[in-house]
Amino acid sequence: MVRFKHRYLLCELVSDDPRCRLSLDDRVLGGLIRDTIARVHGTFGAAACSIGFAVRYLNAYTGIVLLRCRKEFYQLVWSALPFITYLENKGHRYPCFFNTLHVGGTIRTCQKFLIQYNRRQLLILLQNCTDEGEREAIQKSVTRSCLLEEESGEEELSDNGGEEAAEATE
Amino acid sequence: MPAPATTYERVVYKNPSEYHYMKVCLEFQDRGVGLNAAQFKQLLISALKDLFGEVDAALPLDVLTYEEKTLSAILRICSSGLVKLWSSLTLLGSYKGKKCAFRVIQVSPFLLALSGNSRELVLD
Repeated sequence: MVRFKHRYLLCELVSDDPRCRLSLDDRVLGGLIRDTIARVHGTFGAAACSIGFAVRYLNAYTGIVLLRCRKEFYQLVWSALPFITYLENKGHRYPCFFNTLHVGGTIRTCQKFLIQYNRRQLLILLQNCTDEGEREAIQKSVTRSCLLEEESGEEELSDNGGEEAAEATE
Repeated sequence: MPAPATTYERVVYKNPSEYHYMKVCLEFQDRGVGLNAAQFKQLLISALKDLFGEVDAALPLDVLTYEEKTLSAILRICSSGLVKLWSSLTLLGSYKGKKCAFRVIQVSPFLLALSGNSRELVLD
């Protein structure tokens, strides 16, 4: 059938500064990525990538970003992501970088990958945990993720995992 | 005696050559504008950077010969970058505020082909 095909890039924003993730805004991020593509790939790249470009999902606690772009030009967007070195918000510059976790054809496949990825991250957090209270909270989240199979429950879980991740990194 | 059967051997040159060579000439709207070789190369790279960004401005581009009087040059570019270079030369409109245009005279994957051009042949 004739339709516009897209590619969804699932990325994680990695930064030393914990305030960097909280200052994420989808319009600011979209503008930053468009400017970077214009710098790296010129007028041609900026025009080609901006047609179907959108920031579809943004999680400020875990730093997960889902970008959408057209299938013909997704490699231009993907190759411009490593050139983003800082995030600017209200005059403060936070050095950061984007780690691409998964490229999918639909939002659903990206969501499935994100659920599995978050489960694995919870287990890693459990290993590196030092505080007893945090350890119990993470163990509860892990058992809940094994029992529950609804998607809504797992979305809550990824938020909880993110908060604990934010606490654990501080 | 019957002639010995000739054996034919066909050699097909399938490897595309790595580089393409372009003979170009820069024309300005008003006379009296001169560029030296470094400024010429800077102009080419800024044309590439404008249209295709920093990644393609770093394409291995060489100016093999340059004549300052006629503003003509022979360029060498790797074959994957030929379309990008040609399109960025086409879309280049001005140098330091003065209108100019690139005229592409000849393009060939072989440098020897640029030595003779049948269009410039003068029959006496």
